Amino acid sequence: MDQSPAMPDSFKKIFLVLLLFPLWGISQQSVLDSLQQELANHSAKDSVRVSLLIKTAGEMTYSNPKEAFPLVDEAIAISSETNWIKGESYALRQKGNLHYVMGDDLAALDVYQKAQHLAQSIGDRSLEASLLSNIGNIFADLKQYDRALENYEAYLTSAQTLGNVPDEIKALSNIAIIYNDTKKYEEGVANLEKALKLSKQEENDLFVAAITNNLALAYKKLEDYPKALLHYQEAADLAHQIGNKYIEASALNSIGTVNIILKNYDLAALNGRKALDLSQEIEAVEWQADSWKVLSEVYEHKGEMAEALHAYKEHVRLQDSVLSEEKKSELTRKEMQFKMERQQAEAEEEIKRQHLVKNGYLAGAILLALISIASYFLYKRRRDALEKRKVVEFNAKVAETELKALRSQMNPHFIFNSLNSISDFISRNDIKQADEYLVKFSKLTRAILENSEKKWITLEEDLELMELYMQLEAIRLDNHLEYSITVDEDIEPDNTLVPPMILQPFIENSIWHGIAPKGNTGKIDIQIKKKGDMLLCVVEDNGIGRATASMDTKEKSSLGVKITTNRIEIINHMKNTEGSIDMIDKKEGLRVEINLPLELQF
Amino acid sequence: MLKAIIVDDEQHCITRLTGLLQEVGPDIKILASCNTIAEGKMHIEKYNPDVLFLDVQLGSTTGFDLLSQLNHLDFELIFTTSFDTYALKAIKFSALDYLLKPIAKEDLYEALQKVRENRDLKETTKKIDVLFHNFKEGSGHSKRIAIPTVDGFVMVDTSDMVRLQSDANYTHIHTLSNKKITASKTLKYFEGILDGSNFFRVHKSHLINLSFVEHYLKGKGGYITLTDGAKIEVAVRRRDELIKKLIPNS
Repeated sequence: MDQSPAMPDSFKKIFLVLLLFPLWGISQQSVLDSLQQELANHSAKDSVRVSLLIKTAGEMTYSNPKEAFPLVDEAIAISSETNWIKGESYALRQKGNLHYVMGDDLAALDVYQKAQHLAQSIGDRSLEASLLSNIGNIFADLKQYDRALENYEAYLTSAQTLGNVPDEIKALSNIAIIYNDTKKYEEGVANLEKALKLSKQEENDLFVAAITNNLALAYKKLEDYPKALLHYQEAADLAHQIGNKYIEASALNSIGTVNIILKNYDLAALNGRKALDLSQEIEAVEWQADSWKVLSEVYEHKGEMAEALHAYKEHVRLQDSVLSEEKKSELTRKEMQFKMERQQAEAEEEIKRQHLVKNGYLAGAILLALISIASYFLYKRRRDALEKRKVVEFNAKVAETELKALRSQMNPHFIFNSLNSISDFISRNDIKQADEYLVKFSKLTRAILENSEKKWITLEEDLELMELYMQLEAIRLDNHLEYSITVDEDIEPDNTLVPPMILQPFIENSIWHGIAPKGNTGKIDIQIKKKGDMLLCVVEDNGIGRATASMDTKEKSSLGVKITTNRIEIINHMKNTEGSIDMIDKKEGLRVEINLPLELQF
Repeated sequence: MLKAIIVDDEQHCITRLTGLLQEVGPDIKILASCNTIAEGKMHIEKYNPDVLFLDVQLGSTTGFDLLSQLNHLDFELIFTTSFDTYALKAIKFSALDYLLKPIAKEDLYEALQKVRENRDLKETTKKIDVLFHNFKEGSGHSKRIAIPTVDGFVMVDTSDMVRLQSDANYTHIHTLSNKKITASKTLKYFEGILDGSNFFRVHKSHLINLSFVEHYLKGKGGYITLTDGAKIEVAVRRRDELIKKLIPNS
């Protein structure tokens, strides 16, 4: 089996990031209740109320961040009215935490920086330190490694001067994570070893477990497998002792992978299974996906193909749900980076503008001032134009990314149905059919992989894909499926462009909800026609139709159709067209009409 | 009877190919199946096969490494590969034959037909030379391409190709030295191979080498003049992208 394409690096580092927010664990409802009670009783606008507000918001950080905003805003308002800078800075930090938990890194960064400013003015070193680390986390999230490192280093220095060892440990491990992320494993290892030594001194088992695990990962990257195994085992044992199943499962998975590299398949299987049990217990989807990957590789090497297939399917299914989450966060990340760049550019221009104005003023020459004002307006006009272009380009980029994400969602959908069929053939012992199916399936998969990167492919190519797809489905239906494809003569299939696989969900619907339930041979007719500046694609079947199809199948069918509707909407938005999908119930079967803008290659 | 050797580091691939050969190639006799470069080299030198089935990815080495270690390349070569765009691209440039894994019966049958019909060891040697050339030169240098014509193959440096002109199922390739080569493949075939090189399809009938553009004359789609004096129409729908290619920061 080929390597799956560009999966993110599994077998993770354990972040100490969440630990950096001082003392907020999972709050007990009773604590929150009594705090809210106290707040209600104490309505005077003073420092007691401010502290209560911050505390209550703190308790709500992980359970209900959205509703905690009015509390911190009130705390900020009271402190600023009463000129209580310390209160204001702590309230700002809490507000930053809320933004961070809600995933709005940029807003968090903004308030953290305000809080930092205030903390500096009153010389509150420990508050400053915690802010440095939080700001570092945000830059790390945004993959601005230099700036993350800068903040972490400052955090480290501050922790060292204050003699705060836990903070020192956190700083060292986060610095190490940055080094490892930027592939400087030697530096990473050095920092982790320091952090490990300190946490052993402090007898903080949780830190020791997490750091040992990260250290093992760095050794694995350095291809020092014996050392990696040793550390993973240590991390797993310690995590087990302190009952942290999260770290334990991750470490066990990693032991599994390293053992696969070392070809100790039995050991790999043992650890993979243990990790799977644990991660199922704590419902950690990503970890489960990793365990299934370990198991699938073990089975494959042992030649237990049916088992391997099952494990691989589980892996892909779980990985898929993780991946689409990652796609989303990738999108937000890009958006934030853009916003940040724009803010920076604006700030720089603001500074330049001020210089310009100031110089003019100093010269005292009214004429010069006039010229500078005029030039500022000219300059502003140019800047605005540039800005506008940037925004337009960005929107196009976002739309494109969305389209890509939508296209990629189609693939897993498809792969599963096919894997199910192969598995069905295997269980029926129909090796010949399974083989014929598998070869066709791999051809189709290859073509989909090649095309899913493209925005448009020629109609000719797409119809070839669809034909191959229908051939596959026909095998699954024991050849109870006939099809025809008609393209009007005034269309050049090799010069007409369509979004790849746009018809596939409808064909799939027709087959599985129209024809399959019918019990005897059904037919699908695909017609492509030209209608003005639109391309009309018709998928028509003689199945049982929508009225007869059960509720259950209707719901299943909606995902692919929904994705396609979204794709067409985005295309409409980008190209200013009026693409559409119409479903028409026939006496016998369903007719779907898809209107796409007629795009030509030349 | 044709003597064959299979080199593949994965036993199940060998098993599958052997099984398929029994079905569609009764005239093929497998003399040896090898898992490593060293084994492959030994058996090839010992048996002097007619056909070599060679896996592209052999552990941490490649089938290309094996070829470079052989003194005599006098056999027909069929690569096998799963999904490796970089190596596949190199193979396509050299016009050598390849099979995608899992191998489909009809693809294998076709490949064998080609071997049986046009056995021409000289051509194969030339194609392997192209393959080596492209690997040696690295990415910065000009690639060489094997062009299929009605009577054999012509090897040309892509930096010598000025423009390619479509003529139904044929393509006329105009070179720097004002030669015209008529290839027995469509323009689409070349567009596919040259994708990522410095070529651009300005029109349904023309693929041009961007290095030889002299002028762009504005118009509805406009015209391009090339250093060889040719004036070529640009399709309206290709204009914006062409301008982007010519002036990257516009």
